[in-house]
Amino acid sequence: MNSKNQDKMSEKTLDAELVEQAKQGKMAAFELLVNRYQQKVANVIAKFIKDRHEIQDVAQEVFIKVFRALPNFRGDSSFYTWIYRIAVNTSKNHLVAKSRRIQNTQVEFEDAESFLSNEDFRNLDTPDAVYSRGELEKTMSKAIAQLPEDLKKAIILREVDGLSYDEIAAEMDCPIGTVRSRIFRARDAIDQALRPLLADESLRREQHVR
Amino acid sequence: MSDKSKQNISELMDGELPNDCSRFLLKRMQSDEQLQSSWNNYHMLRSCLQQEHDAPLMDNLGAAVVKQLNAGVESIDTAAPNRFSGWMKTLAGASIAASVALVAVFTFNQDDLNSVQNSPVYAKTSQQFINPPNASMVRVEQPTGYTRYPSLTPQIQQYLSESNYQPQIPVYYNTEYVNRIIIQTRQKAQQNNTAEE
Repeated sequence: MNSKNQDKMSEKTLDAELVEQAKQGKMAAFELLVNRYQQKVANVIAKFIKDRHEIQDVAQEVFIKVFRALPNFRGDSSFYTWIYRIAVNTSKNHLVAKSRRIQNTQVEFEDAESFLSNEDFRNLDTPDAVYSRGELEKTMSKAIAQLPEDLKKAIILREVDGLSYDEIAAEMDCPIGTVRSRIFRARDAIDQALRPLLADESLRREQHVR
Repeated sequence: MSDKSKQNISELMDGELPNDCSRFLLKRMQSDEQLQSSWNNYHMLRSCLQQEHDAPLMDNLGAAVVKQLNAGVESIDTAAPNRFSGWMKTLAGASIAASVALVAVFTFNQDDLNSVQNSPVYAKTSQQFINPPNASMVRVEQPTGYTRYPSLTPQIQQYLSESNYQPQIPVYYNTEYVNRIIIQTRQKAQQNNTAEE
């Protein structure tokens, strides 16, 4: 490893920085952390739970638990290893609680009767939200498909195969600067494609709140 | 927002940005919505490419989580590590159990003390007859259900109750005659005790 690599902030150090700031109560840092690991956590939960809405609810619960447990995170293991364990335990607990709920069906009926007055039950996705999520996935897939081949290859080598910039440069037989540029341009193309859709969605959410 | 800043975000999330730039960018991102939005969208692309078949595509879950944390009672203060874990919990539980047992033992023994110390007080005048002196000390006959010997049969409990050294006499029977009987009974009991010793 050369000295230039040593000066870089590794992904593990980046996580540790965000964790440290979140511990100090900087919620913006915690938000960046959640968005960084949201999909990995959802993938873990999906191994236990099949319902997509439940997966989202449990993912949210996992990150709330993560936030509460942040003072206990000492950084001995990687942040992902730590939240992986929390995700597995939360998923298992969710399944146990769900089986209990099924056994106590009477209680479920009572909950259903108080549906309108219960805040917890109002977090269900509206048809609008389901539609916009579908649109998001479609737009994303379309934008990826439309990427020029060199950008698409670079981003897939990075995100799917998990190669480092050096390894991608070797694989694509180009300078590392070109790899940096290609990966960024691929991401930026997706960012540009998503922005109008996300702006519409946030506008719709605001109207829904009003 | 410049392309350079966005490229820095791209490199930061891959661990390819120098330390000093990374720290600066992290600080800046927390107060710049455009940069946050790019971070989220870049990660959403990652999510889409890493998404497994059964899992839904996660979209800015961080905002929902932070909103819930801010709205709820959750706070980093209340999330302080629980110092009373493991053996401390066991010890605390054992202490509580021991305290309860101790209270039970003392309460039980208090009956015996009361039987000696709080001997019945009897009214001697007509006024005292209406308002007995030191009324709280007056013995009240308890049903056998409240016996100190719950494991014994009702007959034996009755026997024990009747053969007690302090006869259960209602307060309105209070006369000098009754007092004399009591004194005699006590003397007799003491004599028996001395004889046994």
